[in-house]
Amino acid sequence: MNYCYANYLKYKHDKNNTTMINAFNSTEDILNFAISREQESVDLYVRLANEAPTPQMRDVFNSFAAEERGHKKRLMNIQSSGQFKLVDKQIKDLKIEDYLVDVSETVGLTYQAALILAMKKEKAAFKLYVNLSTRVDDPLLKSLFDTLAQEESKHKLRFELEYDEVINKEN
Amino acid sequence: MMKIKDILSPFSAWGNINRKAVTVRDPFSERPGADRYRGFHKNDISKCIGCGTCEAICENKAIDMVPVEGVETKKGDSGLRPMVDYGRCCWCALCVDVCTTGSLTMSNEYTWVSENPDDFRYIPGVDKKPWDNEVKGWKNPGYSLYNPDRVEMEELKPEERITNFMELVKGYSKEQAEKEADRCVSCGICVASCPAHMDIPGYIKAIRDNNLELGLKLLYDTNPLPEICGRVCTHRCEEVCSIGVKGDPLAIRWLKRYIADSVPFEQYKKILGLDTLPEGKKHVAIIGAGPSGISAAYYLRTLGYKVTIFEAKSHPGGATMYGIPKYRLPMDILEKEIGMLEEMGVEFRFNTMIGREVKFDELYTAYDAVFMGIGFEKPYLLAIENELAKGSLQAIDFLREVNEGKTPEIGDKVVVIGGGNVAMDAARVSRRLGAEVTILYRRRIEDMPSDPEEIEGCEQEGIHIITQAIPTKVIVDANNVVTGIEYLKAKMVSDEKGGRPKPEPIEGSETVINVTAVIGAIGQEGAFEFLGTEWLEKLNIKRGRIVVDENMQSSIPKLFAGGDSVNATADAISAIADGHKAAKGIDKLLQGL
Repeated sequence: MNYCYANYLKYKHDKNNTTMINAFNSTEDILNFAISREQESVDLYVRLANEAPTPQMRDVFNSFAAEERGHKKRLMNIQSSGQFKLVDKQIKDLKIEDYLVDVSETVGLTYQAALILAMKKEKAAFKLYVNLSTRVDDPLLKSLFDTLAQEESKHKLRFELEYDEVINKEN
Repeated sequence: MMKIKDILSPFSAWGNINRKAVTVRDPFSERPGADRYRGFHKNDISKCIGCGTCEAICENKAIDMVPVEGVETKKGDSGLRPMVDYGRCCWCALCVDVCTTGSLTMSNEYTWVSENPDDFRYIPGVDKKPWDNEVKGWKNPGYSLYNPDRVEMEELKPEERITNFMELVKGYSKEQAEKEADRCVSCGICVASCPAHMDIPGYIKAIRDNNLELGLKLLYDTNPLPEICGRVCTHRCEEVCSIGVKGDPLAIRWLKRYIADSVPFEQYKKILGLDTLPEGKKHVAIIGAGPSGISAAYYLRTLGYKVTIFEAKSHPGGATMYGIPKYRLPMDILEKEIGMLEEMGVEFRFNTMIGREVKFDELYTAYDAVFMGIGFEKPYLLAIENELAKGSLQAIDFLREVNEGKTPEIGDKVVVIGGGNVAMDAARVSRRLGAEVTILYRRRIEDMPSDPEEIEGCEQEGIHIITQAIPTKVIVDANNVVTGIEYLKAKMVSDEKGGRPKPEPIEGSETVINVTAVIGAIGQEGAFEFLGTEWLEKLNIKRGRIVVDENMQSSIPKLFAGGDSVNATADAISAIADGHKAAKGIDKLLQGL
C-alpha cells in the first residue's frame, strides 16, 4: 500500500477532506491515490464475482472489474506520460442514483442492485475529486482533480445509461 | 402479279404537292395536356411503402414491384417500388386511385420520344423524368376506392366499466366484421410485422367469403391461441397496415377475434383435424404453461410428440391468466382455448415447480427435449426510500391476487408508477376496486411503451396521468404505512446516441401526493436460479435473457426456450411465435435433420 492511499484510508471519514488534501503534494501523489481507488473497485467487484450466486451475476461483476481495470490503466498511462487533458465538455448527469437507496456490498445482488452499487461508487468518487479540486490552489493539481472528476462522471453515466435502458425500460 | 395501279400510284401522289399541309407548323412547341389528364406516372418514393396494391389492381399487368437501390426492407415497407411498363399501361389510373399512401400519382405529361423501347419500362420517382415535379395531372378529390373509416367497436361506457370486471369490448357482429374485412386491400404488408407471421390477408378474405372454417384453420396454422390474441394482442400488424396511412388501420385483432368467437368451439377439433393425432414415442417436457409453452405444446402434439407441461402454479396461462385483468381477457376464454390441449392429449402437471418438486437434471435426462417458457416474474424494484412499507405493492403481485379473486388492500387513493401495459392494467384494476388513481411516469406520453388504447382507456376511466415525474420517496407514517409519494418534475434531455430522450430531475420541484397505496410497475426480470449453478454455467444468458439460435435452441443442446425470458418484445404473440419456432426446432433435432 503506498503512502497516499494509506493516508486516504486514514482520513476517509473526514467529510471535508481537509486532512486528506494535505497528503497530496504532487500530481504523482494524486495519481497514485486515484489508481489505488480504481484497484479498490477492481478488488470489490472481483470479490462480488467470486461470491455471486449465479454465473450470470459473476460475469456481470467480472465485466465491472474489467471496466475498473481499464480506468486504472488509463490513469497509469497518464502517470507514465505525464500528460493529461481536461476536456471542455460537460458530462451528462441523469441523477438516477441520487434517489435510489444504498445497496450493501453483500452476496446475492441482483443486476439492478449491482448497477445501483456501481453508480453510487462512481458518484462518490466524482464528488470526492470535485471536493478536492476546490481545496487546492495549485492550478496543475486542480486541473488533475477536475480531470479525474470528469472521468468518474463518464463512468457513472455509462452505468446510468444501462440502468435507464434495462431497469427503467417501462419507467 | 403487279397491278397497273401500283405502277401509277407513285406518280399520282405528286398531285398532292400543292395541298395545304395537315401537320402542325411547329412540332416542337408545347401543347400541354388538360389539367387532370392521365399522363405519365410519378411516385413519391419516401411516401411509398411498397404495398403492391397498384400492382394487384392493374388489369394489364403493367406494374411490377421491384427492388430499388437505397430503399431497404423494413417494418411496414416491403422495400419494393412499382415499375410501370407503358407497352401495357392503358392509363386507367386505377393504380393511382387505389394507392394506399397517395404516393403514386399521374402527371399531365403525355409525350415521350425515345428510340429504345426498353426506356418505356421505368420506376417512377427513381428513374428521373422531366414530369417528376409537374403538379398538374390526374386528380379526383374526395374519391377513394375503399373506406378510410374503421367499423367502430362497441365497448362498455367508461362509467359502466369502472364498476365491474366485465369484458369491455363486445366484439363484431357478422355484418360489422364483413364490412370491416371489405376495407382490406390484401397487400400483406402486415404479415412481416406479426411476430407469428400469421396469414392476415388470408383469414380476412375468409371473412369476406363467409368461410370461417378456413379462417380458423389459417389462424391455427401459426397461432393456437387466437381467441386470446383476438383480445389482448399488441397488434403490431395494425401499426403498419397500409390503409392506416390515410385512414384508420384495419381492425385486424378484432377480425381475428370474430373468427375465433364465431366458430362453435365444439367444432374446433374436427375443423382443425385434431380428432386423431399420431402418438409418437418421443416425449418433450415443457416448463411453464404460458403462451410460449402452450404454443410449443400444440405444435409438438400435432407433429406427433408426447408432451408434458410442468407448471408451478395451479392454472395454465402464465401472464395471460395471472397478469391480464379479466375485463380484457375473461377467464372462460382462457380455459376454453387451453382446455383443448388437454383434449389433444397434452399432459399438465400443475403445482409442480422445476427445481422444487422436480429437479431440472431429472427432467433433462428423462425427456427427449425440454422447452422452457418461464416468463419474467421477478419485478424490478423502484429502489426508493420506504418502498417496503405497508401499502407499497408490486403490480404483478397485485394483478395476480385480483385475478385469483382476492381484494388487496389499496385504500381509496392509489399511485401507480410506470408506463407499460402492466402499469396501465394495475391502474385500471385499482380504479375498478374503487380507488382514485394517478399514474406517475418519468418520460412523456409518447415514450410510454404501453399500447395507446390502454393509455386512452385510462384517461376515459378518469385516471390521472402525470408525465415527466420522477418518484423520489415513499412517504410513511409512524407505523410505516404509506401516506404519500414524493416526486420531482423532470425535463427531457436528448440522447446524443439517438436513443429515446432521458428525463433529468429539476431541482427544487419536489411535489407530494397523498395516497393510500403505491404500486410499482417498472418492469420485470427472469429468475433462472431454479436450474442450479451447474446448468446455469452452461446456459448462455445475456442482459437477463436466454440466448437462442433461429430454432430457439439454447446453448444447452436439448434445451429450447422462448417467451419473455428470451425476446425483449415481451408480448403474447411473440411468445406464441417462439413456441411455434421451438416446436419446429425440436422436431428437427429429434428427427436428426
